[in-house]
Amino acid sequence: VSRITKIIMGSVLAASAPSPPAAGPGGPGLVSVPPGFTMPSVSPVSVPGSSSSGHQETEPPLSNPGGFEECHRKCKEVFPVQMEGVRLTVNKALSNHFQVNHTVLLSTLGDSSYRFGATYVGTKQTGPEAFPVMVGDMDNTGSLNAQIIHQITDRVRSKFAFQTQQQKFVNWQGDAEFKGEDFTAAVTFGNPDVLVESGIVVAHYLQSVTPSLALGGELVYHRRPGEEGTVMSLAGRYTGSNFIATLTLGGAGVHGSYYHKANDQLQLGVEFEASTRTQDTSVSFGYQLDVPKADLVFKGSLDSNWVVGATLEKKLQPLPLSLALSAFLNHRKSKFQCGFGITIG
Amino acid sequence: MAAIQELSPDSDRGETRPPEDEIEGDDEDEELDETLLERLWGLTEMFPESLRSAAEVSAQCSLSVGKKLYSFSRSALWVGTTSFMILVLPVVFETERLQLEQQQLQQQRQILLGPNAGMSGGMPGMMPPAPGKL
Repeated sequence: VSRITKIIMGSVLAASAPSPPAAGPGGPGLVSVPPGFTMPSVSPVSVPGSSSSGHQETEPPLSNPGGFEECHRKCKEVFPVQMEGVRLTVNKALSNHFQVNHTVLLSTLGDSSYRFGATYVGTKQTGPEAFPVMVGDMDNTGSLNAQIIHQITDRVRSKFAFQTQQQKFVNWQGDAEFKGEDFTAAVTFGNPDVLVESGIVVAHYLQSVTPSLALGGELVYHRRPGEEGTVMSLAGRYTGSNFIATLTLGGAGVHGSYYHKANDQLQLGVEFEASTRTQDTSVSFGYQLDVPKADLVFKGSLDSNWVVGATLEKKLQPLPLSLALSAFLNHRKSKFQCGFGITIG
Repeated sequence: MAAIQELSPDSDRGETRPPEDEIEGDDEDEELDETLLERLWGLTEMFPESLRSAAEVSAQCSLSVGKKLYSFSRSALWVGTTSFMILVLPVVFETERLQLEQQQLQQQRQILLGPNAGMSGGMPGMMPPAPGKL
């Protein structure tokens, strides 16, 4: 079941704009607890400097921990993405708010296709991002992906997304996310169908326990005519000075990731995944090398399934051209796949 | 044997010598094809059974280990070369190219501005922009 949610989340997230930075309160050194929550048993925090107890414990304010899906995101971004065939993308910004992109994909394995996409960014500005954001793209066969992200109030953001395969609706989902002072809660309804009484409900909760530790959980309830089930998983994330370690334990398996920023140029990621459904485990090691002087971003990965892959992205100055090359080699099956893409604009 | 036979009457030996020669020749002809190998193999029969079986087992072992080592080194070389090609080579190319470009730029700047121009220095012939001092 979590695979279904992952497919829904992943396809929607892949098409979505990059998530904004955590909108923390940024206030004075006071921790305000939302009503209904009990503070953990530490010395009560007042203005730093005036402590009633003997300990000089002044807790720095707990900032918002970000979304639940973001936990493993930092580590996943270090890994290269497999491409095949040739992809040409033309981005054209028609105005400050509206942007259009054309993508031609020539594929060696499947069908070649043309995609037309449009992005509209609204006028209501809250913080660094403007809302509402509407993203859509359509295939040459008529398949449509669309997403609408809107900031309803200061703390609540909602998102609606749907996906069709030619005329048939394949995915439709809506979710609402509430960002509190030091926690984030989100609810997602996936493919709700009132007539057949089926659907998936996912609830996420992530709480900042200390400035570097965040704990949370995910509850998935899925229902189909005749069967229903629940899957629950817990997540913990520890942020160090230059590393982030995340662990997710649940009914669907164990997923651990470690992200390390060695210096300005090198970032490393190690990922461990054990799934109860497919009964296999895998360890992957990835690295990202930034050479801004050469306008180069290189990502490489090494897998326990004997898969070696790399992606190279280079900006070809002075034209607004960007070249992406990717090569993936599976030693065990002796299969090689390479692809390249050019982005204009 | 020939010396002893010569003491006996020559006529008999003379008659029978050719057949013996022929027989010996026949034997030699027959044995020439397989003589060397069979003789050597026959020589090994003098060693005790345990030594022979131990030698056989160790020879087979070393042969199979040699074969495995050869195939392992072949596949390791292939895996290592292709992985190095994919993971490391593009970065090496790009950084080398960048270094060359920077060197070239530096050389050009040296040629243009004279041998004392540093990487980050200004042009040596330029007047300091301080109109007040003039």
